[in-house]
Amino acid sequence: MLALAPDAPAQRAASALASGRAWTLTGAGDDGGLWGECRGSAATPYRTVVDLSGPAYRCSCPSRKFPCKHALALMLRWADGAVVPEPGSPPEWAASWLGARAARASRAAQVGEPDDPAGTGGAKDPKAALRRAEQREARVATGVAELDRWLCDQVRQGLGASQKSGYGHWDDIAARMVDAQASGLADRLRALAAVPYSGAGWDGRLLAEYALLHLLTVAYRGQDRLPPPLRDTVRSRIGFTVRQAELQASGEPVRDRWLVLARRDAETERIRTRRSWLRGIETGQPALVLSFAPAGMSLDESLPVGHEIDAGLIFYPAAVPLRAVVAASHEAADGSPPEAGPSRAGPPGAGTVDGLLDGYAAALSQDPWLDSWPAVLSVTPARSPVPCLADPDGQALPLHPGAGDCWPLFAMSGGDPLTVAGEWTPRGLWPLTAWDDAGMAVPL
Amino acid sequence: MSGAAPKEQWQDLVTASLLGTERVPVPATAVPGLPPRTSAGLPADLAVLPADPAAELLELAALATVARRAGRRPDPAEPLPAAEPDPAPVVSPAAGHRLQRILGGEHPDLLTEWLTAVVTRGQRAPAHLLPSLLDRARRGSPADQDLRRLAAQAGGARVRWLAALNPDWRFVTAQTGLSADAWRLGDAGQRRGFLAALRASDPSAARDLIAASWATAGLERVMFVAVLADGLSQADEPLLEAALDDRAEDVRSWAAYLLASLPGSALSRRMADRSRRCLRLERGQRGLRLHVSPPDSTDAATRRDGVMPGPRISVGPVAGGTVMGGRGVGGSLLADRTRIMLELVSRTPLDTWTGEFELPAGEIVALPAGNWAPVLFAAWSRAASAQGPYDPGARTWMAALLTATVTGRPPATAAEMAALRQLARRADPALGAPGLLPDPEPGAPPAVFGAIAVLRFRYEMLKELDG
Repeated sequence: MLALAPDAPAQRAASALASGRAWTLTGAGDDGGLWGECRGSAATPYRTVVDLSGPAYRCSCPSRKFPCKHALALMLRWADGAVVPEPGSPPEWAASWLGARAARASRAAQVGEPDDPAGTGGAKDPKAALRRAEQREARVATGVAELDRWLCDQVRQGLGASQKSGYGHWDDIAARMVDAQASGLADRLRALAAVPYSGAGWDGRLLAEYALLHLLTVAYRGQDRLPPPLRDTVRSRIGFTVRQAELQASGEPVRDRWLVLARRDAETERIRTRRSWLRGIETGQPALVLSFAPAGMSLDESLPVGHEIDAGLIFYPAAVPLRAVVAASHEAADGSPPEAGPSRAGPPGAGTVDGLLDGYAAALSQDPWLDSWPAVLSVTPARSPVPCLADPDGQALPLHPGAGDCWPLFAMSGGDPLTVAGEWTPRGLWPLTAWDDAGMAVPL
Repeated sequence: MSGAAPKEQWQDLVTASLLGTERVPVPATAVPGLPPRTSAGLPADLAVLPADPAAELLELAALATVARRAGRRPDPAEPLPAAEPDPAPVVSPAAGHRLQRILGGEHPDLLTEWLTAVVTRGQRAPAHLLPSLLDRARRGSPADQDLRRLAAQAGGARVRWLAALNPDWRFVTAQTGLSADAWRLGDAGQRRGFLAALRASDPSAARDLIAASWATAGLERVMFVAVLADGLSQADEPLLEAALDDRAEDVRSWAAYLLASLPGSALSRRMADRSRRCLRLERGQRGLRLHVSPPDSTDAATRRDGVMPGPRISVGPVAGGTVMGGRGVGGSLLADRTRIMLELVSRTPLDTWTGEFELPAGEIVALPAGNWAPVLFAAWSRAASAQGPYDPGARTWMAALLTATVTGRPPATAAEMAALRQLARRADPALGAPGLLPDPEPGAPPAVFGAIAVLRFRYEMLKELDG
């Protein structure tokens, strides 16, 4: 519990406060909420609320430390059994905050990235949580075995039939992976439905995807022998997600000024996804921040392209750490992250085509399933033999066929080199941002 | 072990997977960078069914896929020629954002004004928006040569470079570098482009060319007259006066419209004489009021001056140079006297009324006129829109009319709404400056809010280009 303290003096203050008689009122709800009133130097007692599922804290004290000593002390008392669960409802000042958090959490769960798909349920009942985790592991293992049989069946009977079979072919197996709580596999399978209609070479692309799925099933079965980061990668690609709150509590933030390089939105019938590519101005480290919204709702606008944000990023554990969340701020009283502002730094440092391919190859050696890699290149667009981006050495990469003609990129270049940020994929480069003559970022 | 290149080895795997391992054997394929494969490539306890050829093929394909991705080499490319440098400065970021909004559908009809303002200031549009701008100019009606010409000019050297890459935008080259050849040999669009450019640089040369070409020109005469709207002056009057007797109705109505807009023209004096007989100031028991008494019919001279019989009650150029018929403002429903009154007053110089009544415009538009008030408002608004470009005095009327819609009787008829809509687009954009016009009351008609919003938008749009 004391590991949550922002520094050593706060730890000491909290320990002292927890054992003292300053607490005039304490209580706990049955859903992880704690509250208490604590006499301090002010005329009115400080009011402290903790949501253990986060954990998240709120206190009326003027301390700028986060969590403050009152919140820490309240949790210590609870851990010691000194805070008695109350069947009744919390006082109004605590109920409103806890209620708002619960509403936010249920919204987050509805938009398709459940914080806690395993139902491991925070710190409430360790035994039950363990049981649920074991149940899920068994379900996933069954699903993975079923998927592998299905994959082998496809190759045994021949992929030639796939082009005639329609979307239902993949939707069925995807639905079975959803039932098996392997949402990562389900997403990959649903995406395959478009491959037979993706033009020449579809058969090779379908085989490659089946082969990588098969590799994932093999890796999952052998996960005990994998190095922990690769094991994390395999599990997250299967669909085991790390709760953001857990990450916020346990992860080590990488502090930097993060430039928002590019953004790419995708929408299915249920959910909208925004991929924001960031890069540390000091560290050069790439990062991918995802946000989600129900279809038809607007997406998070807190990371506009060309802005920078002075913050810590916490990376999800993985063989190639890319996906990250913006760390809760210790400065802001409500823990909200700092705001992004327009970057005056101009275009980011750009590399060559060879450098990009070398970096991608190195990343693939750690995570063979990686099919989207951040690219920042100083290149000149060209149109022959196909629309492509060529670096000063004449080395070119094709544009992704889905990116279309990308005329704005050509218009900005006028045959001269410019800085382009995008996603490198096995099918080509998807250009997302270019920097104009004045150093302004232009989303493409 | 096959000695084939990696690409062919991959194709062997794809072919086998297409046919199915129950029909064909798994190809003996080496994966680049790996030692030759034994019968079991992966540790046996990891493979689901080590003996299953399908699993074996999938494992080979997985290794080959990752090897191919990691071993990918760059392609060669043929560089494009570089665009000519363009000395014109790019508009401010705020102005670029404004163009993006207009192209995105916000006040799309103001695009021509935005482009004109950019061209006259010697600036150019941001490069990344040129493709949408060109697509928009291409989608416009083929007769809308002005938009194409403006897009070509506002894009500068970069749009010529783009047009060489995309056949859809080839119209750009037809709009730039127009020579006398374009006039002699070009199609209708190129001839119009040449004439419009000449009119902009040398108005009298353009007029002389029109006069010299008039007798042999076909319906192109309509275009000739329309081109004269730009830079209209007293020197154009003899040509236009003669065009009032042209055999083509569109030529006659354009000529009548332009002459009515031209301060001091003989036609506008004739109109003023007719209108004064129909609109008088009366001093009644409750103060000043307007008395309206239009004739039941028109004589030949009035019809020659553009007040046509029948449902077609008005002409005037709208953005892009097409002719706006009167049906859109409910013309055919208007009784003859109403129609005649509307036509006469909208073709009468506005200073006629300030001189005749010895009152400022703001007081005249507020005078009670009974049932005739909507007709007078629509007519004055049309007159202000038509005369504004040529007569600085008309701008006082624009301000007075716009203020009256906010503070006085709200517009109610379709003709008034249409006239107000046009007025907001033609009025001096300086009227959109904060505080110059009153804010509409919350219950005001949407047309009033719309007009004020358009003025504000135009004011900000031009301020961004000068800022």
